[in-house]
Amino acid sequence: MHEMSYAYSLLQNVIRIAEERKAKKVKEIEIEVGELLLINIDQLIFCFKAISKDTLAENAEIHAVFSGPDMRCEKCGRRFDQIISICECGGKVCIKGGKSFIIKKISLEV
Amino acid sequence: MYKRGKELYNKKDFFGGVIMHKIDIEAEIDVLTENKRFAKDNRRFFNENEIIAINIMGAVGSGKTTLIEKTILAIKNKELGKELKVGAILGDVFGDSDFKRVSKHSVIAEPLNTGKECHLDAHILNHTLHQRIDEFKNIDLLLIENVGNLICPSDFDLGETYRVVIVSVTEGEDVIEKHPLTFVNADVIIINKVTLANLVDVDVEKMVRDAKKINSKAKIIKMDLKDGIGIEEWINFLRSVLDVSCNTS
Repeated sequence: MHEMSYAYSLLQNVIRIAEERKAKKVKEIEIEVGELLLINIDQLIFCFKAISKDTLAENAEIHAVFSGPDMRCEKCGRRFDQIISICECGGKVCIKGGKSFIIKKISLEV
Repeated sequence: MYKRGKELYNKKDFFGGVIMHKIDIEAEIDVLTENKRFAKDNRRFFNENEIIAINIMGAVGSGKTTLIEKTILAIKNKELGKELKVGAILGDVFGDSDFKRVSKHSVIAEPLNTGKECHLDAHILNHTLHQRIDEFKNIDLLLIENVGNLICPSDFDLGETYRVVIVSVTEGEDVIEKHPLTFVNADVIIINKVTLANLVDVDVEKMVRDAKKINSKAKIIKMDLKDGIGIEEWINFLRSVLDVSCNTS
């Protein structure tokens, strides 16, 4: 379950920002998650809840949006929604994006 | 609640005398930055010390430890043309059985227990390397056995030089097709235990086709580590990537 690793890294970053701002509490967190990371958001929230107990981020709400990869043939430009290496035209299919995990916004009570 | 710019005030508290001040921080923080930083650090260490580091990924029982053992034996038998200094880091959630198997071959080996994590990351690898940095910096080849898991390890760049994914036919002939993200960035895809294919009703050629469809650049090796099939091809791959200027013992 790699969600625990992501939850831990998320918590570390959020706590750092909350402490920098001398916040009393973290209320909400907005994240952007790449589809190719195959993160289960429910599991991520579950893990975050478990490890954020007794921290500034306890009970913080997590809102997630997914970002998809851009997969297209270098030669003919055809787009794909499945991972494939070579297009029917013989061109190489490039995969860009879809692997980010970004904190977009944090709401703090100060 | 009302909004003023990016700051929110709780009206009741505001007029009640106690201001509950809420601020929104617009951020663009890459949560994976830490891993990327350590991966870069590991990569620099490997480059500076002319070490080829191979991240071996695969499910439990796919043959990762046996591949490491056979590789060490082949190097000791000078099948690469010269004897190289080999190091191994054996990742597991718990226990040291793989470490014991590999350390019998008199190489610089270190166990790496992740505790709860289903994969290695660059930070934990960095930490393990630093425990015996003076010994690891003198090796030519580092074999890193990732935690037995076909999915999670592929997300985490360790700073390795090459990525190898090993699957066995006993995992089913659809195993590659079902896990495209694991194979898309592999440099070598090994299909192990091919002599068992008939017994488990698996078409090895279908697995090869799936691998090629997902990753046309990877070297695909049909292998059976117990019967010695495909090991020569694997050794040829190592020969092609190990620089001649590597330190020899």
